[in-house]
Amino acid sequence: MNRFALAISSGIARVTESALGPYQTAVIRIGFTATWLLFLLREFPHRQELYGPDGPWDLDLAQQLIGTNGSFTALMWSGSRFWFESVYALAVLTSVLLLLGWRTRTMSVLFMVGVLSLQNRSIFMGDGGDNVLHLMCLYLVFTRCGQVWSLDERRARLAREAHARGERIGPDRVGPALWSVLGFVLVAVTAAGRLDGDLTVPVILWGIWLGQAVWWIVGRRARTAQPRILLDVVGNIVHNGALLVIMAEACLIYATAGWYKIQGSRWQDGTAVYYPLHLDYFSPWPALADVLSSSGTMVMLITYGTVVVQVAFPFTLFNRRVKNVLLAAMITEHAVIAIVLGLPFFSLAMIAADAVFLPTSFLRRLGEWAARARGRLSRLVRRDDDPAARPEPRTPENPEHAHVGSQA
Amino acid sequence: MADAYDAGSAARHGPEEEPQDAPAVIVPVVVSSPTPATPATPPASPSPEPRTGVAALSLRYQIGAALALAVVAIAVCVHIGMVFLHVAPPNTVTKQHGKAIDDWIYPEFEQNWKLFAPNPLQQNIAVQVRAQVGTADGGTRTTGWYDLSAQDGRAIDGNLLPSHTQQNELRRAWDFFVATHDAQNRPVGLRGALSETYLRRIVQLRLDRANAAGDGGVVERVQVRSRTTNVRPPKWSDEQVSDKPTYRVLPWWWVPEEGAGSADGNDAVGGTAAADEAEGGAR
Repeated sequence: MNRFALAISSGIARVTESALGPYQTAVIRIGFTATWLLFLLREFPHRQELYGPDGPWDLDLAQQLIGTNGSFTALMWSGSRFWFESVYALAVLTSVLLLLGWRTRTMSVLFMVGVLSLQNRSIFMGDGGDNVLHLMCLYLVFTRCGQVWSLDERRARLAREAHARGERIGPDRVGPALWSVLGFVLVAVTAAGRLDGDLTVPVILWGIWLGQAVWWIVGRRARTAQPRILLDVVGNIVHNGALLVIMAEACLIYATAGWYKIQGSRWQDGTAVYYPLHLDYFSPWPALADVLSSSGTMVMLITYGTVVVQVAFPFTLFNRRVKNVLLAAMITEHAVIAIVLGLPFFSLAMIAADAVFLPTSFLRRLGEWAARARGRLSRLVRRDDDPAARPEPRTPENPEHAHVGSQA
Repeated sequence: MADAYDAGSAARHGPEEEPQDAPAVIVPVVVSSPTPATPATPPASPSPEPRTGVAALSLRYQIGAALALAVVAIAVCVHIGMVFLHVAPPNTVTKQHGKAIDDWIYPEFEQNWKLFAPNPLQQNIAVQVRAQVGTADGGTRTTGWYDLSAQDGRAIDGNLLPSHTQQNELRRAWDFFVATHDAQNRPVGLRGALSETYLRRIVQLRLDRANAAGDGGVVERVQVRSRTTNVRPPKWSDEQVSDKPTYRVLPWWWVPEEGAGSADGNDAVGGTAAADEAEGGAR
């Protein structure tokens, strides 16, 4: 009994004193925003047909469907071409900024607005990949996903260093300005009755906006450290809760996909993988598909392997080593699916979701590697235009390993 | 989430901290934390950055933190449970609480992960269209069938980055149509009517691109059909399936004149609005 109490109290200490998985949340932030960004850029020529006011799923059809389910989309606020282009551009811009981790929390909210606005506008255009992004952009809002590998982290570090040198740092002006502008928009939109549909998104928008106000006021005005620590604790709790939901969601995806497959006769007789490879809509490389399905034994092994991996994955989380092996297998399979079935954005989204389970040591190595590659690149560029190159590149990607750049 | 922030904002109104209380109240919550790494004690830390975590909080603030923890823990458990029930097969619980689950999930947390399951699709379903064109000289002519899915397939061939317009648009529009129509091609509910308008607009767009009307011609009516062919069984298999395609032919649809599109859509919906009431939660 005592051990139980101990476990509880240590668990509480863990989830309250820090936002867990800083590298994992950062990598999914980068993964999902990159997926969405690449998707938006790829579909740029087709954007009108997919989400525009005059596409096949036109404003009137969307209006009627949204009237029945109340889902959130800013694209219904106006039917003008200009508004559509603005929302699309905003979706691109917020993806870039969230990817870079600039004003992470605010950008995660705007990223969510962008994803939901476009996807909910034309729900019949999407596939599984869109569905993953749809859910994850909602969950991402609750995480502190800019703790590492972000401009926010870099700014905080520079401020800390300046503080340590005894320099005075002026108050942050961008944050309050951003907050005011967005607050004005939020109030206007609410007053205009544009948020009268389903409550989920309005509650998130208002909750984050008010939460940021409280955070700012407490940070500046509180006479003791206590309220600030409490807010930090609340932030950690919410982050850790959201991280758990993200992981559970990934497990549910695999569990559902796996358990339903078990019930299918084609997955039982070991031929299932053959069929998608021969559907016109999922066979960009028919010759490759023929090679892959030339051996019945091979198809059977891949078919069974897929089911085993998907069903087993959630259970392997209890064993680090087995989990990592399966993770590698799943990421590989998704990379193959991207090309062979012609589902690049679905696969990217799934790989991003998988990444939440990557071990910290691996992610840090990845970060060091990226920092080194960037350092080498910037030196190369500098050598070209300036022989007296800067000796050491900054490595915001990895604060603890800032020395790595000089070793390279 | 909002609750969590409420807990935070409630603390703002809370009384000022009483430092002398702090050491006494740390004890009950972080009862002998087993992690020695946690610097669980002195609130009188000399560092300018005060340490974080519940341990550094006075009792009042600890209650706030505990409240936040409880709210978030409940919200997380409920959400995961709801999503689980949403993706699980129909069962005792979903039969009893289907409404509550749907209310929680729809519209933003809707999801479906039956990816190529229980069985992958084993047929190629091609959507084809032909048009009746009013020609410039006042006559009418009927075009041949345009295989729109074959066009999609060709666009996807050798394509590293297939567009949703090629891979999903027509395919899912047809799925949507089939799911919201009965065997006699009669629409079921609002969604049935929407799917008809949607499919018609897609085929119109594609006919326009193919310039099916020709110079001076106008597409007056369109007819859509699906051509379903079994995927040939693998060559190592001794299975036999018919290689004869089956067709599902829809009635001719009038194409509304330019500008009258939305009125047409509303008409179609008007007759079926009542049926939709019943369909509401069942999507």
